[in-house]
Amino acid sequence: MKKGKYHIIKILLCVFLFSFLMTNESFSQVSNIVSAVRIGDAKEKMPLSISVELYTSENISVIGLVYRAFGQTEFKKTEMLIAGNTASVTVPADEVLPPYLEYYLSITLRNGPPQTYPLDIDKGVAPLQIPVSAYSQKDKEILILSPSAGEILSEDELLISVSFIKAPDDIDINKTKIYLNDQDVSSDALIAGDLIILSGENFSSKVDLGSKLLKVDVYDKSGNLYHSVSRSFQTVSTAVAMEVSSRWKYAGNLKGESRNENFNSASTWYNNISADLNSSYDQWRFSGYAYITSEEKSSLQPYNRYSATIQGGDWFELKVGDAYPRFPNLIMDGKRVRGITGALNLGAFNLQASYGETIREVEGKVLQTYSANNVPLGTDIIKVNESKYGAPYARVDLGTFNRKILAVRPSFGSGESFQFGLSYLHSKDDPGSIALGARPQENITIGSDLMFAFDDQNILFTSQAAVSILNKDISTSNLTDAQIDSVFGTNSTYDVKPSTVKDIRDIIGKFITVNQYLGPWNPQEFSSLAAEAALSLNYLDNNLRASYIYRGNEYQSFGQSFLRTDVKGINLADRFRMLDNKLFVSFGYESLSDNLQKTKPATTTFQTTSLSVSFFPRMDFPNITVGFNRYDNDNGLTLADSAKNRIALNAVDDITNRFLLQFSYDFNYLVKQNASLSFTTSNRTDNSISNLDSKFNSGSLTLNSYWNQQLTSLFGVVYSSSSIAGIPFNYFTLTLGGRYRMLENKLLLSATLSPSFGDFKRQAIEFTADYNILLNLNLMFQMRLYRIPDASTNSIIGLVTRLTI
Amino acid sequence: MRAKKLVFVFVLPLLFGFASDKNSLNSGDTPVALVKKIVKNVMYAKINQNLWEEAKTGLPLNSGEQVKTGPKSIALILFTDGSGLLNVRENSILTINSKLDNKRLNKDTFIEKGTVSFDVKKQEDEEFKFTTPTAVASIRGTKGLFDVLDDGESKMILESGSVELLGKSGKKVTLTAGNTVVFDKAGNANLYPSTDADKKKLGQAKSLSTKKVKIQTAFGIVEVEYFPDED
Repeated sequence: MKKGKYHIIKILLCVFLFSFLMTNESFSQVSNIVSAVRIGDAKEKMPLSISVELYTSENISVIGLVYRAFGQTEFKKTEMLIAGNTASVTVPADEVLPPYLEYYLSITLRNGPPQTYPLDIDKGVAPLQIPVSAYSQKDKEILILSPSAGEILSEDELLISVSFIKAPDDIDINKTKIYLNDQDVSSDALIAGDLIILSGENFSSKVDLGSKLLKVDVYDKSGNLYHSVSRSFQTVSTAVAMEVSSRWKYAGNLKGESRNENFNSASTWYNNISADLNSSYDQWRFSGYAYITSEEKSSLQPYNRYSATIQGGDWFELKVGDAYPRFPNLIMDGKRVRGITGALNLGAFNLQASYGETIREVEGKVLQTYSANNVPLGTDIIKVNESKYGAPYARVDLGTFNRKILAVRPSFGSGESFQFGLSYLHSKDDPGSIALGARPQENITIGSDLMFAFDDQNILFTSQAAVSILNKDISTSNLTDAQIDSVFGTNSTYDVKPSTVKDIRDIIGKFITVNQYLGPWNPQEFSSLAAEAALSLNYLDNNLRASYIYRGNEYQSFGQSFLRTDVKGINLADRFRMLDNKLFVSFGYESLSDNLQKTKPATTTFQTTSLSVSFFPRMDFPNITVGFNRYDNDNGLTLADSAKNRIALNAVDDITNRFLLQFSYDFNYLVKQNASLSFTTSNRTDNSISNLDSKFNSGSLTLNSYWNQQLTSLFGVVYSSSSIAGIPFNYFTLTLGGRYRMLENKLLLSATLSPSFGDFKRQAIEFTADYNILLNLNLMFQMRLYRIPDASTNSIIGLVTRLTI
Repeated sequence: MRAKKLVFVFVLPLLFGFASDKNSLNSGDTPVALVKKIVKNVMYAKINQNLWEEAKTGLPLNSGEQVKTGPKSIALILFTDGSGLLNVRENSILTINSKLDNKRLNKDTFIEKGTVSFDVKKQEDEEFKFTTPTAVASIRGTKGLFDVLDDGESKMILESGSVELLGKSGKKVTLTAGNTVVFDKAGNANLYPSTDADKKKLGQAKSLSTKKVKIQTAFGIVEVEYFPDED
């Protein structure tokens, strides 16, 4: 009776108090688009997965993760994959560096202005930070021999073994705690000398199938926590394990989703299906992916995604369909290409290439027609088919041309100690792809890159340079001989021999359309040049990086949409590791300036100073990060002078000071708890005409509690107070959540209740029930409700089926 | 008084023994290796004993202990300093010797007969050796295969890295990736680029692909997992 009562209380708890908690979650920001951001385990030089739960994906065209490591000059942007109401991306391992990674989300809406998460990044709101912990020398002392990282083991061959051979003598092996998905299995362990062993037959209870996180807490003889190591692996049925160990391997997932969104009184059904299949034979891997959604419309850029890939070890890869190829970042990085992408890595010689469509043709719409006599001027007024529209001109909602891209990069050297690469990118709009469009463009970018390293990459030099040529309107095709003769010549506008111009046209015209819209017009000023060089030194627990960048104001590559141009300067970043990577002191300084080609009334200097101290004690004490950033932008003009000099209206003079304090702490109180507490304060003084003075203060506390293998809970509080241009905006958000497994772990119930008070009033409720019908078949019901008092109540109700093969 | 001392001498160690809050397999030496996976029939013999016993997953192996695989059988062996993995193929016999010296585990695996593929991480100060009846190989961080025939002839096929080998004849050979060396009974070396057959053997020796048969017996269904023929 008592047990039953306890069971009911636990169920009630899970209905009213809950959320998903396997990984870090951020509930701390106000948004009507983003419900939560889930961050994987952020460890130095390990890929970091980030997924974003969206209240609704309706009206979202593109969502991108914008991020940078400490001390990096600029943010990098990568497009997230939207599947249903989740957008996800993985940050590459080489970008994940201590002490933290800064990020925000850039959200492009189908209708409406672009947004960021958190809101108002462009107005000085601080990006979010993900603490990145460093590897430790102690990781080499406590060795998890088995399972290996990511290993797939059958239930009857499960072997956990930890070696202390290299551990110091003051370690007490008997005190070691071993957790499997937060369940303490230490009592099942056997000790043989400096070895701990748990094999299948030692486990006192049956280990269930699925993803497992092994965590080993090691203590010294005084009972103090010495170090923790962890590893992820999977347990599967014996039949699946045999498939995995076979030379022929295959695995796949099929997922179908149907959901109804009730948004601002508009009710919409969304249906999507996704499938992925992976197989391998020896070193050959084959994979396929498809995501088909009812959101796909010919009037929008593609929402469907599909690809098929074949990989031969590390030396060969060919992908057909959607790919996000990574070339040197000045050339192409993070752009979706639908076509064919591949790489051949032979070491001494390598070849990387990508060809396909980056923008799909979307026809425009005629809004208003004009006769030849009354046509006004306007960038959206074009000549149209008179017989079709009844008039020769029209104001149109301009469509987008089909744009194709070709990028090729041969390189020499494996990249371990030397690599030299040459890149060529050509991209062109197809003027005939739509009728109602204007100004189709064409772009060529040529670049080179060089890296060399010594002493196991402790000394690393990297550099790259690229020049671009852009034709801003290829609708008129190449210049004709007659056009050249009329403009060039001794008594014409330009005193240049027409024959010389024709020769140049004939040569350059083989690569790009040559007409009056071809630029740059001032190449001698390096306006379309981009270059950068960096030297990294990694010695004496000190990582020093110095870099220089130059980006002309007209540099543009169609393979890279997110590059900041018209800027040059230096960046210095130094990271000291102390106390066996437990203490990080990081310092960064950057000085950039614009107006490289004297196209602005004054030159602005952008100076950034960053200082951060992080302490990761790896013992019974909180992790602490303290950070300070100062952004000082000034172009030497003073607004007060504007009465005498109108140029002074362009004054840039703002300073932002930002402080950050973060604590995170794993501790045991009743049960295992994970807590984090953070404070951010930011103050911007803006003396420009915009007068965007801003103040921003926020504090947040989250507490994850692992009650037992079935029940976990979350408590979160956020307070935010901001003032932008004198307009205050204060709110308080409370989050209660948790999840509960029942029916022999076949049913997972999760829920979150998250009301916000103050200037931002909203009540958000989320509930999901995920039922494992068969070993490889899941059915999930999802309900989200969010109510904005006196405004609207929106809901999303969905059903998802997931089949694993 | 004397009785009290006797009680103290005999009972105290017992108390300490029971005070341990973990099960203890062996309070003596730290094992040098651990059996990670077994397919079909794998036996082991303790040091200086000719008694072969059935090996199980998780079996710790101490220095001097032997492992023997039967027909269509495989044993995967991990070294406890995390330095490498041995994939012991069918019909093989090997002895694992080691010496722990100031946190450094020096390993010397004697392959009496059979085929062993290896994946050894880059060694810092430790020694990692293979010994056969006709050669000794010092490994720094490589992948490859060692094959010892019944007559003692040894063959090493190297996939990556490089290995220093010393033949019984006293001649030193450096083997690099993509090459094979054969030592005849006298320990003379014959070095040549790996043939297609060598590469195929190398690939097969890494495979853990097994098959299972279910046999109906008087006691119920018995499952037997085995390593299929490689052709």
